[in-house]
Amino acid sequence: MNPPIYEIKGLKHNYDRKTILEINHLSIQKSSIIGLVGPNGSGKTTFLKLIGLIEKPTVGEIFFDGYAVEPFSDSARFLVSLLPQEPFLMKRNVYKNVSYGLKLRGNINDIKSKVEESLLTVGLAYNEYARREWYALSGGERQRVALASRLALKPKVLLLDEPTASVDSLSEQLIKDASLKAREQSGTTIIIASHDRQWLYEICDEILFFFQGKILETGQENFIYGPWKKIESGKWGKKLSDGQTLYVTEPPNQNSIAVINSFTFAQENIAGSDIEIDLKGILSRLSLERKTGQIFATILVGNLPLTLKIYPHQDRKKTCFPGKKKTIRYRLDQLKWI
Amino acid sequence: MKYILEGFFQAFHLLSSGNDETYSAIWATLSCSSYSIAFSLTIGIPVGFCLGYYHFKGKNSLRTITDSLMALPTVFIGLIVYAFLTHSGPMGNFSLLFTLQGIVIGQTILALPIVISLSAAAVEGVDQKLHIMIMSLGGNRRHLFLTTLWEARHALMAGAMAAYGRVMTEVGVSMIVGGNIKWHTRTITTAIALETNKGQFGMGVALGLVLLFIAFCVNFSVSFLRRRN
Repeated sequence: MNPPIYEIKGLKHNYDRKTILEINHLSIQKSSIIGLVGPNGSGKTTFLKLIGLIEKPTVGEIFFDGYAVEPFSDSARFLVSLLPQEPFLMKRNVYKNVSYGLKLRGNINDIKSKVEESLLTVGLAYNEYARREWYALSGGERQRVALASRLALKPKVLLLDEPTASVDSLSEQLIKDASLKAREQSGTTIIIASHDRQWLYEICDEILFFFQGKILETGQENFIYGPWKKIESGKWGKKLSDGQTLYVTEPPNQNSIAVINSFTFAQENIAGSDIEIDLKGILSRLSLERKTGQIFATILVGNLPLTLKIYPHQDRKKTCFPGKKKTIRYRLDQLKWI
Repeated sequence: MKYILEGFFQAFHLLSSGNDETYSAIWATLSCSSYSIAFSLTIGIPVGFCLGYYHFKGKNSLRTITDSLMALPTVFIGLIVYAFLTHSGPMGNFSLLFTLQGIVIGQTILALPIVISLSAAAVEGVDQKLHIMIMSLGGNRRHLFLTTLWEARHALMAGAMAAYGRVMTEVGVSMIVGGNIKWHTRTITTAIALETNKGQFGMGVALGLVLLFIAFCVNFSVSFLRRRN
């Protein structure tokens, strides 16, 4: 059996003595598309920097194609490429930026056609853009040039950190298409950190949910931040922007984070028990997890988005379409605190 | 005012007539300052790169020290180098006192903190995302070093110019270590000091203008290269 493209064992990474990422064991298979989701500061970018061999983990090992690797490892540095959220272009024209990586590898045969092909993949015409200086590019064009410089290398692994976060819709689509084309044509393993869950659910074989420096089992927990207040009759909760109250059990402290993964659609006209709480909201989005065929619904309660699974026994056609008012229910005894 | 005007005419005359003494001083100045700047750049840029690029314990203290050494008085450097090169000093056997090589050593010490400090600042000024870009495209440590320097080239050039200006116009090291020996170690600045002591203000101004002209030519060349870049 072929080894996974990545295997991570006992990884811990610290900044200023504070652990910001901890992964006991993780394998990533070749030619897969992996999505990374999670709030800001949850460790996604650090994870990409570590597997992109930009930084060395404080503790633990990363195996690439069966070999232990670290920054500047000859066995991997030409095979992995990271596109950061805000990519850097050198103070040179587009051609020199895109061809830079090829020259580093000594891959200078037919360099012009390689640059031309990769620029075309990201929707930039060679004749129009090749001689254009770095300062004459828009934000979206810069992002696409940076992606082209990675695609020209035909890496085994392409790591994308929020590739569409600050670009217009045209650039967004071109970046998405170009990334997927890399897998189709070269079998590139693609690992993407993004807040665009819809896109990730559509394209990813697996989604890793990051939270406070750890990878959680599933990506569908709802993390609800405090501060929590004692509301009438000793109950704890928090007022939502639409006036409803989200009740919780007594928190460890006022700023603890409540984890609720027991949301279901409440059946109409059937009241819940004392430990079941109902919230009214609007269905704002439906997502399909391609690998499992599972459908997830996002319900906006006030300004708070809450996600829940739609089970097969529920009539999906009747009950679910965006814009529909829905009542959802959760159980207090299944609420966890972190 | 008269001697200043005289200085202008004399400067023109000295240069156009190919005055041997003047050209000897110009040659001594240019050769000493060029060698010393070459040495200080060779040592100072890699050190400045490490100081600006890497994070390590004591980095801030080291930066403060190099920044402070930028203001080292030239006479103090001259004195220390003299103490090392004099016959009874630790490097007395090399017979470098009152030679151009001795001046080069002193001027290298003078320029080194400037090159280190300004190189470190130049490297710090390069966007931190550059190193991610180089590494993510498969670069090694040498690529990282060379590409960072290339991206910081304008700031590095400005630093090199500042150091060159300092060594070319210094008097203390040249006077104490070189000894202001005619036809041998007399530089433009030591010649100016001598002429002023002799009351030959016109000659002093003339030599000063020559120095200014050289500085202008060097700066113009660098600016031209920069624009062309």
